[in-house]
Amino acid sequence: MPDDQDRKDFAHGVPTISVSQGSTLANRTGSWKCIQPVYQDRIAPCNAACPVGIDIEGVMNLMRLDRVEDARELLLRENPMPSVCGRVCDHACQRACSRALFDEAVNIHAVERMLGDRTAQPRMSAPPRTRTEHVAVVGSGPAGLACAYHLVRLGYSVTVFEADPEPGGWLRYGVPEYRLPRAVLVREIEFIRAEGVAIQCGVRIGGNLPWKDLERFDAVFLASGARAREGFEWQEQGLLDVRPGVDYLHEVRAGGRGHAGRRVIVVGGSDMAVDCARTALRLGSEPTVLFTAAREEMAADPDTVEEALREGVRFEFFTRVVGLQVSEHPEDEQAIDAIRNMFDSGESAAPGARLVGVACVRLQPEQQAADGSRRTLSVPGSSFVLPADTLLTAPGGEGEEGALPPDLHRRGYILKTDEFGHTSREGFFAGGDLAAEPRTVAHALGSGKRAAIGIDRWLRTRAGDAVPAIEPQALRYGGTGAMSVTRWRGDDPVHRTNELNEVVKFEQLNMAYFQHVAGTPDHHRAPGQSGADFGEANLGLAPDEALAEAKRCFNCGVCNDCELCLIYCPDVAIKRHSSGHGFSLSYKYCKGCGLCVEECPRGAMIMTREGL
Amino acid sequence: MKKVIIGNHAVSYGVKLARTEVIAAYPITPQTQVVEELSEMCASGDLKARFIKVESEHSAMAACIGASATGARAFTATSSQGLALMHELLHWAGGGRLPIVMVDVNRAMAPGWNVWTDQNDSLSQRDTGWIQLYCETNQEVLDTTIQAFKLAEAVDIPVMVVLDAFFLSHTSEPVDIPDQADVDAFLPKRVARQKLDVDEPHAFGALTTPAVYMEMRLRQQEGMAQAHDAMIAIDAEWGGRFGRSYGPIESYRTEGADLVLVTSGTITSTARYVINQLRDDGQKVGLVKVKMFRPFPTADLRRALGGVKDVAVLDRNISPGHCGIFAEETRAALYDLPDAKRPRVHGYIVGLGGRDVTPDTIMDCIAKARAAAKSAEPEPEDVWVGVKA
Repeated sequence: MPDDQDRKDFAHGVPTISVSQGSTLANRTGSWKCIQPVYQDRIAPCNAACPVGIDIEGVMNLMRLDRVEDARELLLRENPMPSVCGRVCDHACQRACSRALFDEAVNIHAVERMLGDRTAQPRMSAPPRTRTEHVAVVGSGPAGLACAYHLVRLGYSVTVFEADPEPGGWLRYGVPEYRLPRAVLVREIEFIRAEGVAIQCGVRIGGNLPWKDLERFDAVFLASGARAREGFEWQEQGLLDVRPGVDYLHEVRAGGRGHAGRRVIVVGGSDMAVDCARTALRLGSEPTVLFTAAREEMAADPDTVEEALREGVRFEFFTRVVGLQVSEHPEDEQAIDAIRNMFDSGESAAPGARLVGVACVRLQPEQQAADGSRRTLSVPGSSFVLPADTLLTAPGGEGEEGALPPDLHRRGYILKTDEFGHTSREGFFAGGDLAAEPRTVAHALGSGKRAAIGIDRWLRTRAGDAVPAIEPQALRYGGTGAMSVTRWRGDDPVHRTNELNEVVKFEQLNMAYFQHVAGTPDHHRAPGQSGADFGEANLGLAPDEALAEAKRCFNCGVCNDCELCLIYCPDVAIKRHSSGHGFSLSYKYCKGCGLCVEECPRGAMIMTREGL
Repeated sequence: MKKVIIGNHAVSYGVKLARTEVIAAYPITPQTQVVEELSEMCASGDLKARFIKVESEHSAMAACIGASATGARAFTATSSQGLALMHELLHWAGGGRLPIVMVDVNRAMAPGWNVWTDQNDSLSQRDTGWIQLYCETNQEVLDTTIQAFKLAEAVDIPVMVVLDAFFLSHTSEPVDIPDQADVDAFLPKRVARQKLDVDEPHAFGALTTPAVYMEMRLRQQEGMAQAHDAMIAIDAEWGGRFGRSYGPIESYRTEGADLVLVTSGTITSTARYVINQLRDDGQKVGLVKVKMFRPFPTADLRRALGGVKDVAVLDRNISPGHCGIFAEETRAALYDLPDAKRPRVHGYIVGLGGRDVTPDTIMDCIAKARAAAKSAEPEPEDVWVGVKA
């Protein structure tokens, strides 16, 4: 205020303006408020949607900071097979991505694939054995490998028993080479071995190794799979040309030619159906997929359906098989069969009736009946016959697994387990296709991790050791997602502020701070090349493209230190936290205006009356 | 480097060369190209400034006030209704002694809706505590924009740089654009004498009682007096570095003149043409261009016009109910001269709402002044020239 002092100041060039003489710190504006902001991280929708239980948002945030190696480490905490998952998972995360409601979902699976592919070397040393117990894992598919991987990282000794000659289960014998190159699978299995997992192949439990022998282990994880073979009435006619798709894929994966002839009809809408058709295409056949409803209703990953169409696979939607046309085995085809059998190492085709055609009808889109049921009606006069040499069934439905102990409780084909995968027999846990649906690689990996947590919990309890006091629901992202082993271990390297285990909604984000940036879709082999051989069809993204995709992430629900709250606070009540992460809020001066909460782009703050 | 650019872009280049740190603006014709170009400079990274998009001119000025109070170099541009909407904030900037620079592209006030040039918008803000500098050419616009930052920061008073709509804003002229290094040497980074400090917080613009308010205003008035001298010094330094200077006023061919025109803005260029013709005819007429309107260059005008018999002031503005504002102020400035040196001041209203002021219009004003000079009766304070019957 102007006084003699100010006159003096003016002589030194400081003009007189109205400035309080005292510090405004005396004005405790915080006393005005009746509601106050609180920093509260929530859960990104992708994290909650991921069947593996990956902290996707955390990975993306580290990528945003160009900490790519740390991002890979965070990913590997939850998923031992990012290269595999980045290729074959149907990426539920991307369907949940908030960005899809703004422009395009982040291409998360391509980022995961890039992180998986970027290192050719396993870690230098296996994690230390801190537990004395030894766990047996039956089956080396994704569930078994995941369980083993997480158990050795929790300090256990683990032996995996695999009936087939090589590890990998469905990944090795079911997923075709063009979707998952064997070298990629082998590399990730080698990484898991390098963590200290012992894998014994050619050991069939209940076969050359009796069930009783598993009793010497402290716990057992059952993940021997369930290959879907049923659900198609025409199989019952006993025709050799009508075969389960699962067997066809297995045969080709094991090195056979499949000997399906030229005209291959595949019935079903599952990933397996698409895999059968694309495999047949690569072996020189002309595959047609028959599906009873619209394309959008197929269970298969829409991306792979798109790829199949590009390669030349024919699809007949709203089509149902109503009969098979069979001819007695003509004399002149016996010679062809003989030649065919010379090239196939497998069993020779039995003589007898051969498939020559499949009778079909068109279906009308489903109608809602008065009683609420849905019924499908055929289009009158629409029947037609497709010439066929082989019919492959790929229902993707029920499965079978005959060699399990009879005392395990089941519900249909599925073993009954508790929330940690514990079966009705003490110490026996189950996962993968044996224990739950849906039957995807990602769900299998998640179920293996869940059982690893369950086994750790059970063994610790049995040994009288400390058990983390955490509810199963709190282990799941958003309360309903897959379990996080990091949460179980309680050693999260990511800083979290007052985290609430609740998925943040799109409406809780503030889009004013985001610009539209088009996503980068996966690269594919040229349509002419793709389909001609078993070379990989989907080429993913280059590392720099994947990094750019990661940087499109909103970081939903999680403070990433953007500082908008600090910039907007009219009371300068917000400061960077001394730890370097997050912010501290001075409630002495925060007058509860709520600007920070309103402006927060990612819904990482709330207003509350609590604590006032 | 010489470039042929419009007046609006001359402003943009000036703001860029001044290394302005914060720009907050709302678009309005005929100013929009100023900030359009600046936003592109910011987007491309050529200008490392924070560009704040706002929802009104009121907010634009508020943002500039906030930025300037933290010690940043802040700029905005507006016109007409936009300037009027800022009115309250102009007092805050002036009274708060914040060295903000604003460009106003002179545009007529509505109604009737009119986007053409007219000085009533800027002159309506006469008493808000801003320095006002009126420009004649695109080169002067660029030079004045850069000088304005130095002037504002020298005396902690905001500066309004004013240019005519379309005649300058949208007309291309060759403009010499100085090198950045030379401008940096002329205009270093702002060092604020007082600024908001979150570690030592004080309330700015707080309650000021009758016991001290008047002294605060006196300091502001003293600052304005300093601004006049500072403008001359800064303009001279610019002239030394870049070879161009302007002064608060400029006398043109006034030697021995018995009639002197007083003009501002682009009318000056037309008037120069008329003066040259009349001088060729042997008439003793001259011209004074007023660049600085606030602080008003009273002493300069007394020196330039004292002893002249008749002065004709051309106003592209009107204070309704009185007269042209430059004429009014010029009369007031000269009134206290001794009788022998006091000219008669004739006021002419011309070119409102963008109407062309041609050489004929100016000749008409001169003829009217010559006729009035012969009469013993005082002329009306406002004589309208170029008005339809």
